Amino acid sequence: MKLSDFVVRDAIIVGLKATTKEAAIREIVQSLRDAGSIAAEDVESVIRHILSREELGSTGIGQGVAVPHTRHPKVNALVCTIALSKQGVDFAALDNEPVDILFLLVSPPNMPGEHLRALEKISTQLKNQRFVSFLRQAKDRQDVIELLEEADSGTL
Amino acid sequence: MFLIDRIILIGSILVLLGIVSSKLSTRFGLPVLVIFLGLGMLAGSEGLGGIPFDDAAVAHGVGTLALAVILLDGGLSTSWESIRLGWRPALVLSTLGVLVTAVVTGYAAAVVLGLSLEQGLLLGSIVGSTDAAAVFAALRSRGVRLPRRLNATLEMESGSNDPMAIFLTVGLMELIGGRVGLGPSLLGLFVNQMVVGAVAGLVVGLGAVGLINRINLEVAGLYPGLVGASGLLAYGVAAALGGSGFLAIYLAGIVMGNRPMVYRGGVLRFHDAWAWLAQIVMFVTLGLLSFPSRLWAVAGQGLLLAGVLVLVARPLAVVVSLVPFGFGFGVRELGLLSWVGLKGAVPITLATFPRLAGLEGADGIFDVVFFVVLVSALIQGWTIPAVARWLGLERAAESAPPVELEIHALRPVDGEVVGYTVSARSRLAGRLVRHLVLPDGAVIALIARGQEVIPPHGGTRILAGDHVILVVRPGVKPLVDRVFAEEAEAWTEPVEFGLRASARVGELEDCYGVELGADRSWTLDELVRARLGRRPRLGDRVVLGPLELRVRAVDGAGVVERVGLVVRLAGGD
Repeated sequence: MKLSDFVVRDAIIVGLKATTKEAAIREIVQSLRDAGSIAAEDVESVIRHILSREELGSTGIGQGVAVPHTRHPKVNALVCTIALSKQGVDFAALDNEPVDILFLLVSPPNMPGEHLRALEKISTQLKNQRFVSFLRQAKDRQDVIELLEEADSGTL
Repeated sequence: MFLIDRIILIGSILVLLGIVSSKLSTRFGLPVLVIFLGLGMLAGSEGLGGIPFDDAAVAHGVGTLALAVILLDGGLSTSWESIRLGWRPALVLSTLGVLVTAVVTGYAAAVVLGLSLEQGLLLGSIVGSTDAAAVFAALRSRGVRLPRRLNATLEMESGSNDPMAIFLTVGLMELIGGRVGLGPSLLGLFVNQMVVGAVAGLVVGLGAVGLINRINLEVAGLYPGLVGASGLLAYGVAAALGGSGFLAIYLAGIVMGNRPMVYRGGVLRFHDAWAWLAQIVMFVTLGLLSFPSRLWAVAGQGLLLAGVLVLVARPLAVVVSLVPFGFGFGVRELGLLSWVGLKGAVPITLATFPRLAGLEGADGIFDVVFFVVLVSALIQGWTIPAVARWLGLERAAESAPPVELEIHALRPVDGEVVGYTVSARSRLAGRLVRHLVLPDGAVIALIARGQEVIPPHGGTRILAGDHVILVVRPGVKPLVDRVFAEEAEAWTEPVEFGLRASARVGELEDCYGVELGADRSWTLDELVRARLGRRPRLGDRVVLGPLELRVRAVDGAGVVERVGLVVRLAGGD
């Protein structure tokens, strides 16, 4: 499984405006809508699903990274994108520190295995400190896309 | 010439000689403690200086005041982070550890020196504690970088174990003098020392911070004095109430050093300077008090006793204090903790107690203690860097930044000035300033490169080895830290998603579309406890197909409060 297979490039945000958890999730889901990956009428429902997963416990995994995720009946394939913040998002993360890298993942309900594989793929990638520090220095969408391709080809 | 005129003349010469000879420490790695003691011995009645000094009361006074000043500085510069890392093992080491060291050394002293068991134990108690001044000097000024937890444990131990040694010494003297018996009254003395000392330190420290931040002084130069006097007040209050003044002033220092404080940088620098001065004055005075010829007379016994202390008592104390409590130190770490059982001023100062009390055999005890301290400081102090390297526990030294920029805030202000060193592996090396992605609210104030100070503009290139100094708004520092973070801080644990353990099995199943093989109405706490079949502990793992739950918080009743969720498919890590 490759990151560039399921990360929606046109929805990548460099310079997230939101600074709270709900606003950040909303901004990213709206970006996925603008990229055509989520239908306009499903936006609110997807946000609610993601927030209800957050209620079980924050997906802010520490060291400035959060991976909000959910399964949703209205998507047909794995939908994921990346948002970078320069102000930090208050995400109630495990280490209570502001989050500046977010991976948001929505998968169809009939593919639980793929959902977990995508989460595992993202997790593995986030353990690579070079990947994470390069991501923090990405200036625009193209930088992020190139970084994802480097990560996929194992040249990072 | 008045007496005070002579004291000023001789004192200033000795302090100047002390400062100049500290260069020897940098050049040969000789511990400063040994240099200053040596200087005092040289200046003394049997040395070149021929200064007659054998007033144990004055030496005790100087030693006590100097130690209080050193402990205040140690507390002020101890970060909350190292307290969090080190306080548990340090607490056991500074109580049980001191007791074990004292008993083992004391028994050996009774045998080697032919003393009574009480007198032997008294000697053991005197040398029971490690020395804050010696340990701080060895770990900080000689640039030995140890793993943070080891460093924190050793520093905190040395700062907090003097009360125990003092208690044992005073207690034994009372016992020998027949003023208290073994039993409840002795225990009361101990509890009083610890509890009163701790409470006085915390209360005075908190009060002082409140005062410092509200008093709004017009003159910046008064703030360091305010902090210093508050620390000494903590000492005085504790001592007046029968508590440990040393513990009080150390804790007051920690409290004041870890709260936002007006003019903080200036205060810390002032106390650092005083602590150095105190070290010189204290060790030179104690050196003056000794008689090298008498030391020579006890050399054989002293060496034997130092051997027992260093090679048997301290390692045993470390093992007994740390192994049963599961602090997770490895063999090499225990080895290093054993080796950094540095003795210093406290034993010598305590050794003046029996002399002051006119106890029988007091002179002999003083000489042996002095000799043992000298051996410990010389051999252990000198070889700490080598031993740390040999055990593979030394960390690469950080190069100190050539400039430090500080804004002296006379009122509490929002914002900070922070500095970072750009390593060769950093993603930032070689980049133009305008190509840096910095968090909002952070701006580079200057770049220091070698001797040069570079005012940055967009076209300035950042090079490896540069010291970059930034002005950051409050709350932004964690984000800036990450930008400048070394890559070496690898994430060794698998990524975990947080889950509160009161969530239901059904909720988790719905979220991930997996079967956990348990009743859907169970909470995750119930599930974890059922699978473990025992009281859950932090770090316990329960594997449920592709998911793994790790216990991350347990309350006092053994109920799991929080778990971490790790995704583990075949082929994953």
